[in-house]
Amino acid sequence: MSAGRAARRLALAASVLALAAAAAAQVIMDDLGRPFTLPAETPRRIVSMAPNITEALFALGLGGRVAGVTRFCDWPPEARSLPKIGGLVDPNVEVIRSLDPDLVVAFRGNPLRLVDRVGRLGLPVFVLDIGPGLDALVPLLERLGRITRTEARAAALAAALRSRVGAVDAALRGLTERPKVFVLLYGQGLWTCGGQSYVNDLIARAGGENIAASLPKKWALSTRERIVRDDPDVIFILARTEKDFAADRDRLSLMPGLAGVKAVREGRVYELDENAASRFGPRLVDVLARMAAILHPERFGGRA
Amino acid sequence: MTRTAGRRLFWAVTLVLALAGFLIAVLTGPVRTTAGDLVRFLRSPDPVHAAIFIDLRLARAVLAFLVGAALALSGAILQGYFRNPMADPFVVGVSSGASLGAVVATALGFEAAAFGFSGPALLAFATGLGVVSLVYALSLRRGGFKVETILLTGVAAGALASAVTSFFLFMRSDSYDQAVFWLLGSFQLAEWRQVATIGPWVAAGLAASVWLARDMDLLALGDESAQALGSPVRRVRRAFLAISALLAALSVAVSGVIGFVGMVVPHWVRLLIGPTHRTLFAASAVAGGTFLLYCDLLARNLLPAELPIGVITAAVGAPFFIYLLHKKR
Repeated sequence: MSAGRAARRLALAASVLALAAAAAAQVIMDDLGRPFTLPAETPRRIVSMAPNITEALFALGLGGRVAGVTRFCDWPPEARSLPKIGGLVDPNVEVIRSLDPDLVVAFRGNPLRLVDRVGRLGLPVFVLDIGPGLDALVPLLERLGRITRTEARAAALAAALRSRVGAVDAALRGLTERPKVFVLLYGQGLWTCGGQSYVNDLIARAGGENIAASLPKKWALSTRERIVRDDPDVIFILARTEKDFAADRDRLSLMPGLAGVKAVREGRVYELDENAASRFGPRLVDVLARMAAILHPERFGGRA
Repeated sequence: MTRTAGRRLFWAVTLVLALAGFLIAVLTGPVRTTAGDLVRFLRSPDPVHAAIFIDLRLARAVLAFLVGAALALSGAILQGYFRNPMADPFVVGVSSGASLGAVVATALGFEAAAFGFSGPALLAFATGLGVVSLVYALSLRRGGFKVETILLTGVAAGALASAVTSFFLFMRSDSYDQAVFWLLGSFQLAEWRQVATIGPWVAAGLAASVWLARDMDLLALGDESAQALGSPVRRVRRAFLAISALLAALSVAVSGVIGFVGMVVPHWVRLLIGPTHRTLFAASAVAGGTFLLYCDLLARNLLPAELPIGVITAAVGAPFFIYLLHKKR
């Protein structure tokens, strides 16, 4: 479409201009391509608008400077006692303003209208997107390090995470067999992670094959028929507690047809910490390591 | 009590309620503030309290008042227009047309913005007016003009627009929170520039309808009688339809679809101060503004998370409506 091309050209021209400006006033683009002026020093009062951002801020050693978090931010435990700004889709603009932050880090999934409303009150807002896969994690942390002027700390964290991912990659080198994996999200229905989810990437990196990879979505509703047809070797249930996990495991095995699926038959149904796996933060590497050890115990000293 | 005394009482009570409502609106919210904070702020303003008191709370209260006034006035006009007390901006398809535009714009990622309106708001305004114009054109073609025809065409067009809206919502389930905003309304995003954009139009709509109120009184006698008494019926009808559609479409564009204000408020005002349209229009506007101001107070203070305001207006408006109907019989 020519309108689209014109728009893209305009965007290109805009970004060239923005780059020129960036050279002068230390302006960088956030993940929505909007200009953000880098602070001269580390912000003192940071509001985080998503759990993964809160975790990343703490991992960068900025826990003491976090002034507000969402009600879902429960990791690390210290985050629980911080002032709450509301939820992911219902952050409260008034509360955010009252915390008088010098940096607001928003998540791409926050309602953009509300994020814009915060920005128009004159607060510096940086919108951070999550990535399509594990490889986007380190750049995300580096970006966060850049806007909080903790570049050195971010580089150290990035190196540590890279080496842990590298260890998993090394252990899985030359893999011939990739178990078929079904991921179930705790709750009603057979919700799973489609091909566009970063969990799909995690499964592949852990040496498995997501049976829902062909569903062109992030989160998708699977069906019993599909699961029986694909006959997964391993099922992961993303659950928040041991009790939720047990309830969903029993629900699965009682569903007509699913009792005969290989993973259920052989008892290869495992819990994954939903809290860690559903957030695009540093703990994804823990999830990766656990998945890989379950899928290929022979390569991780036999423990599963 | 004489009619004049009743009218004076109505105005006094409404104005006191409105002023009290604005004060409560500025003082309450998720962040605790006291009257002392407000006084301190007025003496020596600081940026945090300026944002909370003025940019967030006062702007929101003023916008809620304006939208309430616009919706109630639009309803009062349509009830006179159709000589039917059940009429409101929904029946001519403005509301469903406007929410259709908003949801389609959201689903397709239409993000152009102008005059303090977002892309969805602009499209909401356009489709709201578009659907009314279509309804009007379709009703005209069927040999002259009939009130029943435009009423039924409006209901049918509204149902069709709702069907298309539901389709888009179903296809794009990830824009759910935005859909709730458009279908049930909210003043969460209120800003001064929205006030500045719709304020003059609401004032102009009110002035024009008060100016034409005499002709609306004549319409109550029937179109032929009104014509015989020298009222240019066709032109008056077209003007009133345009004013009410414009007011309703503007309202949806800034705050989503808010039901019941347009139906209940004029009805309530008519019972209290009588059916003369000149006072009915002005009183409906002020009462509608006050009503919506209080509904918004409930919407943002009742629960820790904000409620869509349409939930409040329906919950408050519908029982009140039934009560008034029964009391009258």
